[in-house]
Amino acid sequence: MAQVIIQGFLLSGLYALIAVGFTMIFSVGRVLNLAYGVYIMLGGYVYYVAVQILSLPKFPSFLLAGLAGIVFGVLTYLVLVKRFEKDPIAVEISTLILAVVMQAVIVLIFSTAPRSMWPLIPGRFEVFGVSILKNILFATAVSWVVLGSLMVFIHKTHIGRAIRAVSMDAKGAAVSGIDPQRINLVTWALSGVLGAIAGVFFATYTQLDPGMWVFPLITAVAVVIVGGIGSIIGSLIAAHIIGFMEVATTTWISADLRGVFTMALIIVVLVVAPKGLLGKAEL
Amino acid sequence: MRGWLVFGLLMFSLPLFLSTGTLRIFVMANFLAIFAMSWDALSGRTGYISFGHPFLIGIAGYTTAMLTYHLGVPLYLSIPAAVVVTMIGGTLFFLPALRIRGTYFALVTLAFMEIMYHLTQVIAPKVTGGTRGLSGLPEMVSGAIPNYYLTCSVMLLIGIGLWLLIRTGLGTALSAIGVDEEAVKSSGLNTNRIKLFIFTISAMIAGIGGALYVHYLGSIAPRALFDINFLFSILVAALVGGAGTIVGPIMGAYFLTFLLEYLRPYIPGAGRFVLYGVITLVVYYFAPKGLYSIFSSLRQRLSGKAGTG
Repeated sequence: MAQVIIQGFLLSGLYALIAVGFTMIFSVGRVLNLAYGVYIMLGGYVYYVAVQILSLPKFPSFLLAGLAGIVFGVLTYLVLVKRFEKDPIAVEISTLILAVVMQAVIVLIFSTAPRSMWPLIPGRFEVFGVSILKNILFATAVSWVVLGSLMVFIHKTHIGRAIRAVSMDAKGAAVSGIDPQRINLVTWALSGVLGAIAGVFFATYTQLDPGMWVFPLITAVAVVIVGGIGSIIGSLIAAHIIGFMEVATTTWISADLRGVFTMALIIVVLVVAPKGLLGKAEL
Repeated sequence: MRGWLVFGLLMFSLPLFLSTGTLRIFVMANFLAIFAMSWDALSGRTGYISFGHPFLIGIAGYTTAMLTYHLGVPLYLSIPAAVVVTMIGGTLFFLPALRIRGTYFALVTLAFMEIMYHLTQVIAPKVTGGTRGLSGLPEMVSGAIPNYYLTCSVMLLIGIGLWLLIRTGLGTALSAIGVDEEAVKSSGLNTNRIKLFIFTISAMIAGIGGALYVHYLGSIAPRALFDINFLFSILVAALVGGAGTIVGPIMGAYFLTFLLEYLRPYIPGAGRFVLYGVITLVVYYFAPKGLYSIFSSLRQRLSGKAGTG
């Protein structure tokens, strides 16, 4: 039991971080970014190259991974998404193609062989007889710090309020003098950096391989659907429901079945309550 | 109809000129065309975007694979059985479409695909072959030329069938659902019946294609079918060719399959897939309505009159 509670909290924090960058894009731009998994993959690989190949120190490498996420997020918006802004389905298709292209780029550079990442902080300790990796505790702690700062940013700063305004009513926001293009750019940059940071942690949780973008993307989709598309608080709650459900399934039933319950939950929620737990399509 | 006749004659005369290696590529293109047409029937016009076609193709493949592998059921029974099972699967798809559409519908169908990916590995791995799948499945016909004729005929029959179907009022109704479903309802049409019908048709085509596909490959595995890259090929073939046109997805499937093959000698290894993806993205970027629309507008300009579609 202690095992499930502790591991559940640790995993859920990471899932919340993975999902929040995804939900912001939907909330502001009303589009699904299927290339979101690429920011996660990119974060992981950039950090890997910096630390394990170029032997840079960990903290600057971490920043470098975040920067890569920002650049790629902004580029996705400027190059692809802006062209198809009036057509959400075209955005989904073109970002999916982009994701597959980036997967091929990663295969080209790093081959298909999986690579393991060194933990950010090595070692483990025990609480209530549950063995915890320090790395995972650190990842969850940083996730919470990032999520907390994001909430402060969204609610207390001028630009954060502008983001919320656009997510509630893009036209109304434009009328009151908010440049939607600028807000979109900021949101895509934020989404990129959140994805890349989540990617560094996710890669230390699992491993690096060219197909690694799919699982976090599907998890983000699941979290966002269950929580209600576009709601940050809803995403946090849903990340915990899904995180705990996965850990409980892994511990008590079978590790292979955890994905099945998550997907079944998506179907049930979408069919029964398409807006999710707290969905009102605004941040 | 004349266009189909010319196309059919051309396709049937190809084995006279081409090597068996090239014919094998055509076989793969024919399969992709069948899958893309199945996707197009359901999603091309209606706006119910399916991300779960690998789910339909996969259950057809697994049904016939398990029947033949474990029970020795002959193909002429196992393939129809697979098609029926897939049509039942298609009605599963239909249930969420009663309430949700667009992006949400796409995500539910994606969830269906992911569930099957996990289930085939976990539930009764002895029957499904688990992660490694099943291999050594019987062939329908053997050799490149018979397989070419088989897939070609099936593809043409499906294409002509869908084309005739879409030319009736159904095509208009489907397009109207894509534009404004409420308006179609209020004009007195039962949209749920129309949707159920086209979902079943789409599933049937996916079932035929999927069942033949695994017997052509001779093997089946979860990662080969319930996979986002497989979904990518189907979606992109339909969209790059031209969604909602039936002919477009065939063009898209040929374009993509041959693009990948003809890049092979020039770019070895993984670089080929990068270029393939980039070209696909560029085509989609500049012609989101697909290659078919480019050709038909060219034809209109050349002949100086409206094309017949």
